[in-house]
Amino acid sequence: MEVLPEVDCEEDVTITDDEEDDEESSLSNIRITHTVTHIAKPRPQVALSKCPSSYKENSSQEKLMAAMAENFRQQYALLYPDRKALLLCPVNECSVQKFVSTTLRSTLLPYPELYDWEGCASFVADYLSLELLDPPFELPKQLSSPTWVLQTQRGTCFDFSIVLCSLLLGAGYNAYCVSGYATKEMCLLDQSRQECPLLQPQIQDKTEEPKKPMKKYSVKPPRDLHSNFERRQEEKQQAEAEAATLKKQLDAERLQKERERPPPDPLRGLRVHCWVLLLSGNREIPENFFIDPLTGKSYSTTDENFLGIESVWNHQNYWVNKQDCTFGCNEMTFDLGDLSKWEYVLCGQSLSIISDPKTLEEPEDEEEEMDELKVFEMPPSWVTTIDISPADMEMRYPGGMKVIEYRKAKLEKFAPYLLKDGLVTKLTTYKDLDCTKASTIKEWFKHRSDHLDERELHTDSNVTTEHFRPGRSDALKYHRYVTLVPETERQMDFYSHIRTDGLARRIEKPFEMTETFENRTDFLFYRNAVYGKQIKVIRAGEALEQRPLQRVEERFHRDHSKPASKDVAERIFVVSDRRIQVTFHLEDDRIIPAWLNFIKPKEAADSQKAQAFTPQMVSGFQVDPSTKPYTNLQLYEMLVELMREEENVELHIRDSEKEVRSILSSREKEDSNTDLLISIYNPTRNEMARLHMEEKERMAKEKKQRQKEKELDLLAPSQVRLGLPEVLTSQDALQLKTDCLNEFKQQLFNKASLIQSRIEKETEELQKKQLWYQKNYLTMSNEDEDDYLAYCSDAMFRIHVLKMRLIRHKERAPQKYLALEEKLKRHPRLASHFL
Amino acid sequence: MKDLTNDEPKVIDEEMLKQAIEEQGPQGQAGDISKKEGIQYEDVLQLRLDYRNILKIFHLWHFTSLTKLQLDNNVIERIEGLENLTNLVWLDLSFNNIQVIEGLEALVKLQDLSLFNNRISVIENLDTLQNLHILSFGNNAIAQLENVLYLRKFKHLRTLNLAGNLICEEESYKTFVTAYLPDLVYLDYRLLDEQTRETANTKYKYAVEAMQQNELQEQQAMEAQKISNEELQLHKDAFVEFLNGPQLFDSMFDEDPDGEKLALLPGMESKMEALCVQIFDAGLTQHAQRTAEVESFFTCSHEAVADNRQKAAQIAADFESSRRQVMEMQQITDVELLEDNISFCQEQASQLSETLMSLELQLVDQLEDIFKDFERNISDMVGGFIEYVHTFAQCRDLENQHHEQQLEIALATLEKVVKNDIDCYKDTVTNAVSASHDTHLLKIDNREDELLTRINSWMSGLLKSIHDEEVKRNRKRVSEIRNYVSYVKDELEDMRMSEHH
Repeated sequence: MEVLPEVDCEEDVTITDDEEDDEESSLSNIRITHTVTHIAKPRPQVALSKCPSSYKENSSQEKLMAAMAENFRQQYALLYPDRKALLLCPVNECSVQKFVSTTLRSTLLPYPELYDWEGCASFVADYLSLELLDPPFELPKQLSSPTWVLQTQRGTCFDFSIVLCSLLLGAGYNAYCVSGYATKEMCLLDQSRQECPLLQPQIQDKTEEPKKPMKKYSVKPPRDLHSNFERRQEEKQQAEAEAATLKKQLDAERLQKERERPPPDPLRGLRVHCWVLLLSGNREIPENFFIDPLTGKSYSTTDENFLGIESVWNHQNYWVNKQDCTFGCNEMTFDLGDLSKWEYVLCGQSLSIISDPKTLEEPEDEEEEMDELKVFEMPPSWVTTIDISPADMEMRYPGGMKVIEYRKAKLEKFAPYLLKDGLVTKLTTYKDLDCTKASTIKEWFKHRSDHLDERELHTDSNVTTEHFRPGRSDALKYHRYVTLVPETERQMDFYSHIRTDGLARRIEKPFEMTETFENRTDFLFYRNAVYGKQIKVIRAGEALEQRPLQRVEERFHRDHSKPASKDVAERIFVVSDRRIQVTFHLEDDRIIPAWLNFIKPKEAADSQKAQAFTPQMVSGFQVDPSTKPYTNLQLYEMLVELMREEENVELHIRDSEKEVRSILSSREKEDSNTDLLISIYNPTRNEMARLHMEEKERMAKEKKQRQKEKELDLLAPSQVRLGLPEVLTSQDALQLKTDCLNEFKQQLFNKASLIQSRIEKETEELQKKQLWYQKNYLTMSNEDEDDYLAYCSDAMFRIHVLKMRLIRHKERAPQKYLALEEKLKRHPRLASHFL
Repeated sequence: MKDLTNDEPKVIDEEMLKQAIEEQGPQGQAGDISKKEGIQYEDVLQLRLDYRNILKIFHLWHFTSLTKLQLDNNVIERIEGLENLTNLVWLDLSFNNIQVIEGLEALVKLQDLSLFNNRISVIENLDTLQNLHILSFGNNAIAQLENVLYLRKFKHLRTLNLAGNLICEEESYKTFVTAYLPDLVYLDYRLLDEQTRETANTKYKYAVEAMQQNELQEQQAMEAQKISNEELQLHKDAFVEFLNGPQLFDSMFDEDPDGEKLALLPGMESKMEALCVQIFDAGLTQHAQRTAEVESFFTCSHEAVADNRQKAAQIAADFESSRRQVMEMQQITDVELLEDNISFCQEQASQLSETLMSLELQLVDQLEDIFKDFERNISDMVGGFIEYVHTFAQCRDLENQHHEQQLEIALATLEKVVKNDIDCYKDTVTNAVSASHDTHLLKIDNREDELLTRINSWMSGLLKSIHDEEVKRNRKRVSEIRNYVSYVKDELEDMRMSEHH
């Protein structure tokens, strides 16, 4: 049964962002206070002004279509007076009559989950909430547009079907809306007699291992010396006993079913329902089948829940059923081109898609009107494009949550990020039909920062099991526990390939801990520790409660680099007894392994010296009596090594205990206060990413701004002198312009005079030098003369360059001046004054 | 250090070895134990004999499991007496007076060899030491750079020391070594950096490439040789070697002096060859069939043995764990209960022995069954092949035919050439032709006989080895069971005795 929370649904349905917050806060009480009713609130009113014009009026083609439909209705009523009226032209939400086929708007939305029919069906079932037909045996008076239905997220079964059919047509399926009759459970969306699909055991495809072919030389099994007769007798007895118990079981089941059977429905066969028919052919659909839009499940066309069909339609045509439905839809055929079974409203090309070619020629002589309108095609849909925002898509359920009741089970679904603890699905199973005593509670989570994926609580045994996705720092994969107190019964599985110690599983019982490992380089795969009663240990000045180790057992895989008789298979440290037991691996063709037992010598105490090693401390068995026995030295060395190992092993076990404690405390913390992880690709939720994006945008903007400012305002200095008037008068403008030009002229002039002065300076210096040379050239050394000559040529060169620059400047100056004048003329602030 | 003051050179002797081992062996309690027990030279893994003024290596042949031997800082002049130390991984002969590298051929496991500070001038006699990682020839008298090329054959060589040799003074020494030993990582105490490698590679690029090319060709030739050897081995296993061509035919005429004189009739060779190839092909296919048969037998028998072993091991392990429980009850004060337990355990032990024995017997029966089947099948197969091999009879027919024709032609020719004295030549010609014929027949017969004896001996050898293996396995298992059960019974008896006292 569909259950909807008592949400104070806003009157207008366009939920704005700020309202969403309110809703979220009120959700905590929603979860508890839901009542078992269908929507009984007034329908939200249509804001007519917001509707597009096609919703409010009919085009000429649509009018024609309506007339044809009316004609068809009249003839139909005449021919079949016993049959109920057809749903042909109901009014839409704006109270305008529209033909049903034009209400379908085939749409393909850009969400991959909506590309196949399963996704579409479950989406529609999840997204909308059901409004019952009132009365249940009448066709609805009004058929809203799919856009309106999606906006309000509520509708009748007809609305459901229209939306689903639109999506399926968009996805390329050969889909039809079916108007007909169905059982009460189907019409009322009552699933309380069905098993929850999540509870149904997964069908495991048992692929039996192909029996090994009998080889030519396979040995014959030893002869069986049991009596065949006795065995047969035994089998017989067993079979009888089994049959008896089976019968009992069946009887009990039947009784149970009898008790659970609902009272007969007085309206059976009259309840109007609308669903979707998918015909085979397109998109590799092998067989025709129905989809119930309310649950999103598929049914075969012979399913007994569907009691009769009045008519079917798609976006191109409308067909009326002429077949007998007294016994349900069992014997219906869906060859819509078969005129003896289906009557169409429109004839024309559109028919060719679904009918046989031979029926194509016939339609001409059907109706008088048809003759002139034989190529009349269904007018295009009056519905605007269907659009679903990603946010709505993610919310999925009306208000972000949906509750479905099944037989002995309740399923609650939530949109991701809706609940603080990341819960998305919660399945509660009950022991009784009235759903009062819960037996298991199973929860699925998403986006949790502690990577918790699934949690299951058995109320009887009070055992909780948790599954984690990879990504935790402690590599936890699975956790079964009763309480989070350490040293109690629990099981932890780990992602062993991530852990450096290769730990795969740790099972704890009171006074016992067993660890299994995978792929370790030291070939260890099993370690079992048995504890004694807790005692106080003083370590590093602190008194600790610690359970002393009594016995530790370790097992190893075979290390093929060592000979089997030297490769340890099992080590048992009996700590309480001061014994160590070593068993070696089996040799390839042996059945009895070698072993050694050591008794640890006593350590040095206050009064005694340490006990010396004697060969009596070791006993053992060697398989092959001919091998050389161990020398005492070897045994002693082995013992020393083992004693060291024992200490190591204890350290490992204490580390494991510590790890368990830390995992448990972190689990406790995570459970009480968990964060939801937000992907960096989710800008609407990821605050950081959004801030980063905004920052980037801001930077880009600023950069642009700065670039703009860089373009210097030529007028600025002159304008400052004028005292920055807000609006320039034409006189001011003229003044500004002349100022500007004058200044530039001055600049050019200054530059020319600067060059000139430099030339003069150079020439002067050169002349001085020449004079000095003429005076002293007789007494000069060769070097000085060279220096002088070099200087002269240098100076001459400099003077030449300066002269060139001056000439160029003089040539360029007038051009530059003119360019500036032109630029000023075009300057935005002056341009208006010089037009 | 007192050894150094004593200048007299020594030979390694028993006393010296004993002293060294005691010094270097286990210390503390372990040392006491080992002293009490006496040290076995075979068990010593490491030995250090440095600064002892040793002149001659001697007395070391007992140390067969030695992995590390240090003989540095002595006055050794010859490497000798190391032939038995095949497990050596590390050998240090530095600071001695060695002039020639020798006597190391047997040390194939050697990884680290130091001949630092000796008088060696040529690197040689190391071909068998393919596992060498570290080589030290520093402070020697190596003068020829070409010595380095000898080191190319050591694929695992990573560290080389040549410092203090004459060749190091050559300008191109470093680049030369780097170029010709591209896998080297350390040279003369230093890591070879990228730059050195690059310059070396550019300098000696062509020379090295040419060398590599030659080496590659040699390798390919060797591989080709190996493949053809394998093929021949396969043919031999199929007992049809050299029958896939005209070899038999050729051999028939090789040892036939008269045949060469007599003209060969056309067609003979090709027919003969076709027959040989026929036998050859049949031989190969039958060989494949036989191998498959043998393989299937072995897998099945191994499976059966493994299966049986697993079952027996499980039974034994179950018993062992229950026995240990009883053994741990030693502390129980209740004498009667203990007695009960012990007798129960004894009973169980005899039961175990019975179960294991019957399991073993069952296996023996099963194996015998399949062995009989196998024997029959394989002898059938061999018989089939032998029958087929009678194709050689066709060869003989061919030869007979050939012989007759030859004789006929010979006589006809003779008649044409010499019309008169036909009789006196006739005998000679006939003799020659029939002698040739006899040789040919003999060849064919020999080949056939060889094939038959070999295949028969193969079959009997195979069957015998299977049978022997099975007997050995059975004995081993039975003795194992008996050994274990008697051990268990002794233990229990001991326990009972100690209880009574």
